[in-house]
Amino acid sequence: MKPNQSIRVSHMLRGIEDPVLIISSDKLIVLNANRKAIDTLTNGKASQLRGLPLQTAYGNERPEAFPKPLPTAFMLPVSQNGDIALINFRVSPLKIEGKKYWLAIGRKVEQEEELQKRLQDLEQEKSLQQMKVQFMSMTSHEFRTPLTAISSAMDLLEARLELDGQLSSFHRLQLRKMADEIFQLNSMLDEVLTLSRMAGNNWEPDRRPVAPEQIIEALRYQYFSQRKDERSLLLSVEGEPRPVLADRDQLAKVFTNLISNAFKYSTQKNPSVKLLYKKKKLVITFRDHGIGIPESDLPHLFTSFYRGSNVDGIEGTGLGLSIVKTFVESNRGTISVSSGVNEGTTFTLVFEDFADAI
Amino acid sequence: MNNTILLIEDKPGLSEALRSLLELHQYTVAVASNGEEGIRTARALLPDLVISDIYMPVLNGLDLLDTFRHDPVLHDIPVVMLTARSEYDDVRMAMEKGAAGYVTKPFLFKNLHAVIQGIFEKQL
Repeated sequence: MKPNQSIRVSHMLRGIEDPVLIISSDKLIVLNANRKAIDTLTNGKASQLRGLPLQTAYGNERPEAFPKPLPTAFMLPVSQNGDIALINFRVSPLKIEGKKYWLAIGRKVEQEEELQKRLQDLEQEKSLQQMKVQFMSMTSHEFRTPLTAISSAMDLLEARLELDGQLSSFHRLQLRKMADEIFQLNSMLDEVLTLSRMAGNNWEPDRRPVAPEQIIEALRYQYFSQRKDERSLLLSVEGEPRPVLADRDQLAKVFTNLISNAFKYSTQKNPSVKLLYKKKKLVITFRDHGIGIPESDLPHLFTSFYRGSNVDGIEGTGLGLSIVKTFVESNRGTISVSSGVNEGTTFTLVFEDFADAI
Repeated sequence: MNNTILLIEDKPGLSEALRSLLELHQYTVAVASNGEEGIRTARALLPDLVISDIYMPVLNGLDLLDTFRHDPVLHDIPVVMLTARSEYDDVRMAMEKGAAGYVTKPFLFKNLHAVIQGIFEKQL
């Protein structure tokens, strides 16, 4: 190798973190070695490595030259803190100005014990993660029991006061406040539970054919009927309904969130959901006529814990829409939003994977 | 005559308040604290409607639904599930097993009452 080439090659080798050797193709002389190779093979002594024939082992009293021809992979033993470790070199041909050399890049061979240990660590980490999710799931479930008992006791108190003719508007207002807080706490539990599952990577979508309008219909019955303010959710379907491929549970969470927001951030008109089945896609729009979202908030809307600048006094965690976006995208859909302050907000979801197309 | 409702719920904190609320709304109420006791009481009492929790010791709500559906004496009695599980699939499973309705915890009594009234109206 000419001197200037050698310098160039040395520069290149320096950038590689694994031990690297450049070996002549005829006599198997180590022409060049990077710092890592010198450190691991000859304890930092370049003179025992560079310019000498490749050996079957370094540090031995009687050096033994490596047999020819050089195989495509070979191992060299090195001593490390008193233990013998193996470095596995993979050989590939290298041509510099028409001349052929061997480039050998080494990787430490992991001992079986080390692999076992790593496997054990990984398994431990996994079970710890599962325990966390289980714990969150159990706590959020257990929290609901006292919440339910409290809300029923309050219902009973209200009914009793009313029957006795003692229910004043003051009582009514305070009871309603308490009920609102209980339901707020409940939806926070839902969000924390969902987040902990997401953090535990436990949210790979289980995509099967589902009918979104049926999910929305069920949610409307379960959560959005019998409202105190007498409002209801308007649902319309256009086009020919077809099942889409999606995770039912995740879609239900997405819909619940967007519908609750539509009710939460509006007070007068009924929010509406429209499903439009087109030839190649399903477009679902969630529309309310509420306070809207200021333009400056729109870019941050789907960020965790971010809340709009005009939501004073309206409860929320700032987690809902970030969960919504994650779940829409994990089901290969898209979400967009258009909004005007005090005009209302429209969220548009588009899904293109129909069950019959697969 | 007042409709009889059997309430199957293992948490006394909830079942006592619910019993009073149902009684205030002119229902005759019986209470059982687990699924097995619930089935025994149902056979003896033949209530017009059953309200049952899903998570209970001894026999859970979903197994209770199975027993009701396969019992010649009980299979026409409507069962409303109270569930702390809001997972969509759990609710769907309860409905597939023949629940007449469901309410997720926590709930407003008004909502539970609307479900109960809906079922009784359908029977008229």
